[in-house]
Amino acid sequence: MQLKKALTQLNGLQFMIENLDLKSAMGKRFLVETPWFVSKKVIETELNLIEKTLENLETKSAFISKIQTRLSQLRDISGSIKNIGNKLILDDIQLFEVKHFAMVVQEIIKLQKEHQLQLIEISGLEEVVKILDPDKTNIPSFYIYDSYSEELSIIRKELKIHKSKKFISEEEGNKELDLLFLQSEKLESTIREQLCNQLVKYHKNLEKAFESVAHLDVIIAKAIQAKQLGLSKPSIAKGLTIYKKMFNPQIKEHLQLQQKEYQSIDIQLYKSLCFITGANMAGKTVLLKTVALCQYLFQFGFYIPAENAEICLVDKLLLLVGDLQSEENGLSSFASEMLKVNEMVAEVLKNDNVFVLIDELARTTNPIEGKAIVNAVATIFNENNVRSLITTHYSGLNAQCRKLRVKGLLDSISTKNINAKNVNDFIDYSLVEDNVGDAPQEALRICELLGIHEEIVNKAQIELKK
Amino acid sequence: MPFINEILQFKSLSIVGLEKNTGKTVCLNYVLSQLKNSNKQIAITSIGIDGENKDQVTHTHKPEIEVYEGMLFVTPETLYKKRKLVAEILEVSSQNTALGKLITARAKTEGKVIVSGPTTNKSLTAFIKKMQFFGADLTIIDGALSRKSIGSPAVTEAMILTTGASLSSSLSQLVFKTTYTYNLINIETVQKELATKLLDVETGVWSISDENKLIDLEINSVLLIDKLKEKLFTFGTRIFVSGAVTDSFFEFLKNQHQISEIEIIVRDFTKIFVSPEVYYSFLKKGGKIKVVQKTKLIAVCVNPISPDGYNLNSEELIKALEQKIAVPIYDVKNL
Repeated sequence: MQLKKALTQLNGLQFMIENLDLKSAMGKRFLVETPWFVSKKVIETELNLIEKTLENLETKSAFISKIQTRLSQLRDISGSIKNIGNKLILDDIQLFEVKHFAMVVQEIIKLQKEHQLQLIEISGLEEVVKILDPDKTNIPSFYIYDSYSEELSIIRKELKIHKSKKFISEEEGNKELDLLFLQSEKLESTIREQLCNQLVKYHKNLEKAFESVAHLDVIIAKAIQAKQLGLSKPSIAKGLTIYKKMFNPQIKEHLQLQQKEYQSIDIQLYKSLCFITGANMAGKTVLLKTVALCQYLFQFGFYIPAENAEICLVDKLLLLVGDLQSEENGLSSFASEMLKVNEMVAEVLKNDNVFVLIDELARTTNPIEGKAIVNAVATIFNENNVRSLITTHYSGLNAQCRKLRVKGLLDSISTKNINAKNVNDFIDYSLVEDNVGDAPQEALRICELLGIHEEIVNKAQIELKK
Repeated sequence: MPFINEILQFKSLSIVGLEKNTGKTVCLNYVLSQLKNSNKQIAITSIGIDGENKDQVTHTHKPEIEVYEGMLFVTPETLYKKRKLVAEILEVSSQNTALGKLITARAKTEGKVIVSGPTTNKSLTAFIKKMQFFGADLTIIDGALSRKSIGSPAVTEAMILTTGASLSSSLSQLVFKTTYTYNLINIETVQKELATKLLDVETGVWSISDENKLIDLEINSVLLIDKLKEKLFTFGTRIFVSGAVTDSFFEFLKNQHQISEIEIIVRDFTKIFVSPEVYYSFLKKGGKIKVVQKTKLIAVCVNPISPDGYNLNSEELIKALEQKIAVPIYDVKNL
């Protein structure tokens, strides 16, 4: 799976990507084409590159911004590089773009040398520059230079003096002009062909350099983001995933705008099933999405929104959040959800190392059968030691499964001071191990706080006592 | 050598024809030939036409321009490939036009090329700046007074207007129409502070308070003013229209009882598509009009010959125009 696809699955991830300050179009493309890393080594390399950049972000800020300026000058010349590889002839505009690209790359290499700081290794393109800058002007402009051919330079000289020459008639003069121009164009084509033939040899270098500078753009953007959002470098764990003070950057930013504080959360996840229970408004869904976000970020080589993170590598992340009702294929929310769950179970039985996250499993059907379905899926996950997280507010969950409960509304609070706007301030989002497995009965209390019509609350309470 | 020294005092110049065949290209080529020996770096392009497909664009009357050695020019990829001169590519823009990316190049030999450049006011202004970065002392824009183009030649500091028999075969009509455009070009600007504010407003119709505050009237275009009449004066009688203003709008305005308090502000004179009769009667009734951006008219060039063979008397024509227009008038043939 590429990052591009993951973006459609979790909007929190989209927030992170949009927040990245990428300077080049190729950097953007490189980023969204990032594969799901499953190799420890690859992730470590990527994280170390970010770390190195991050270490120098402040002390060498001038250097970083110089590099970013160069990156912003880069154009996506992948088409021209491909054409060189396929031995096609480029026109002047494409040759200009290749030359410009090669010169900017050389400048980035030079900057890294001058500042004795190599953020990323880039293969040099001095040979490409040499071919396209025969006069060694070191100016990023291009045409078929006179110095490529003596014959060409002679014709061009004649072209230049043509105006001052006298002809029998204007027609005669134009004829000669056209002829001269035709000759020079012919020669130019031959030279263009020769130049492209010379470039073929450096096709791989160009490809590599293209990739490296795109990567460099991504690394710098990731490092800047890590600093801005207070992300940390995760370590690669085995068996147990631990987050200390994990937070959701998007929600944190949103709360900061309202001058509110985000309560970060500690959580540990084994290679087994874990239920998340808690009252409505307790933030179960946000928690699940944040855990999913962290796993995505980790395996696409980002820093993590937590004070400390030790994360296990998984082959796949299977995520089920939100309403799946699809009017197009005529399936209800419930039917779509169950089909998706079915796929997940099939995958789980096939692959031992996946991470399944399901929000409010079977919530759209009646509570009796819903609970039965939850317990059935839980039993399968439990028996197979599936790393999984399921949020629910059903009571009577499988006793053998681990349950984490969000603490929820502080008991000590009197309802008088609370309303729909500030209710979030009175919720404790931290998690406790819960052995009972009964869902907290807080729905009516929350209704009261939200100022829901008294009659509804009273009637519901009578109903409960029956 | 008329008006060349004056041109050199400016950093940007547009040459605009009131009609086809008024001698714009002759005038442009004259200016270029005179500047050739001036030791000044000159750049040239024209206002591009956006949103039309390739064929239509290439078929519009974009003349080939005789560019001399060392000059900068800007044109899209497709037209660049048709050039009849040797040129060095200096930059390839990232933005695309209907005819491909814009190429900035320097002529290495003298020759002909069709130029076409940015399409919007914003990109035209940015373009003039960029040419200065490449060393241009003067950027010339081959302009057009057309509703088709969003970009306006009024973004340049100075302007030369060409007019002629192809606009009207009647001398008095020709003088009347030309004088009208001259009057529009000379419409007073708003104060600098307000102008800076309005330059950034790209759409809509706005009311402007006495303290120069902008209030969006939520009218997209005054073309549909009939249905939104009551909205227009909700916040006062000083109105900025970002797009074109037309006869129907001015007809509506001049019939209002508070006409003497009405002040209409438009971006520049090219946004006024009002017939002279309606325009003058709007002014007569006490209506006021101002522009955000004004350009300095340096000269008017006339072509007394129309393509259908009609010939006006050059001297008479110049004399008649001189009585109405306070800038030098030249016959293109005598340049």
